[in-house]
Amino acid sequence: MKPLQAIALAAILAAGSGAWAADAPGKPMKMDEPMHGEMKKESMKKGDVKKAAKKKERELKPILEREAAGSAKK
Amino acid sequence: MKKRTMETSLTGHSGKLIRSIERRLFLRQGLSLGALALLSGCDLTDDESVQKVLTGMSRWNDRAQSWLFNPNKLAPEFPESAITKPFRFNAYYSEDEVRLVDGASYKLELAGLIRDKKPWTLPELYALPQTSQITRHICVEGWSEIGKWSGVRFSDFLARIGADTSAKYIGFKCADDYYSSVDMATALHPQTQLTFRFADEILPPKYGFPMKLRIPTKLGFKNPKHIMSMFVTNEYPGGYWEDQGYNWFSGS
Repeated sequence: MKPLQAIALAAILAAGSGAWAADAPGKPMKMDEPMHGEMKKESMKKGDVKKAAKKKERELKPILEREAAGSAKK
Repeated sequence: MKKRTMETSLTGHSGKLIRSIERRLFLRQGLSLGALALLSGCDLTDDESVQKVLTGMSRWNDRAQSWLFNPNKLAPEFPESAITKPFRFNAYYSEDEVRLVDGASYKLELAGLIRDKKPWTLPELYALPQTSQITRHICVEGWSEIGKWSGVRFSDFLARIGADTSAKYIGFKCADDYYSSVDMATALHPQTQLTFRFADEILPPKYGFPMKLRIPTKLGFKNPKHIMSMFVTNEYPGGYWEDQGYNWFSGS
């Protein structure tokens, strides 16, 4: 294979694998990046969802435990 | 030809009619001004007191929508030929950041007002009787697409686990940190489905593996993906987008 052909082939393979990697799921989420989609406000970051979920969990945990204990007594 | 203006067209009409039209114009302009103030005023709508009023209105709207909700009215279903291909991926993150859940170790956790809180593995869930639906997914962003989803009717699953169906809400926590909740009437709707398959294939990660809740009577953001746990409660649980001001009920 000529050097130019080899370079072209390598470039095609690299581009192809890059495209595949971009579509393949499982990459760690970049929490400080802006959110995707149309629902967000300008300042929203991907990591905001995790923070909100933790806060919600703290709020709901005692309520769910109290409700479950109350229903178990019935 | 004589140019027709409001002044000329009203010539000869009674003062009562003119006053009536002026009143309507005033109301229309007043409403436009109000809408413009909300649209243009980020500072205005970020104000805490305005937010409180808007949240109160939204919760009132929730109550009105739940009152109008007909638990027996079905969402339209479509033939296979109507299915949108490819079906759109949509999330608050990019497709390559989709959270991968290990199906082998997966267990659906249950909490709250549920009699049997035993966690469910995927083989146990897959063994349940399943149905399919071809329905329209409607996004709050303004687009819609038709897809085929298969899984267990959610009301059947709730009966099986002994969920207190007199409770008000069911909440969901997802592997991608997203969370949401629905009213019990919608949870018991015959088309609400705990979904394991999309287009006759195991639900791909980008559409919510290992399972999602498919609710054709609600907007897309009320259809949580990658569900890891669910709970039944009488306490309003909200949701991520709902807590940002989106209408909680968001359904028909």
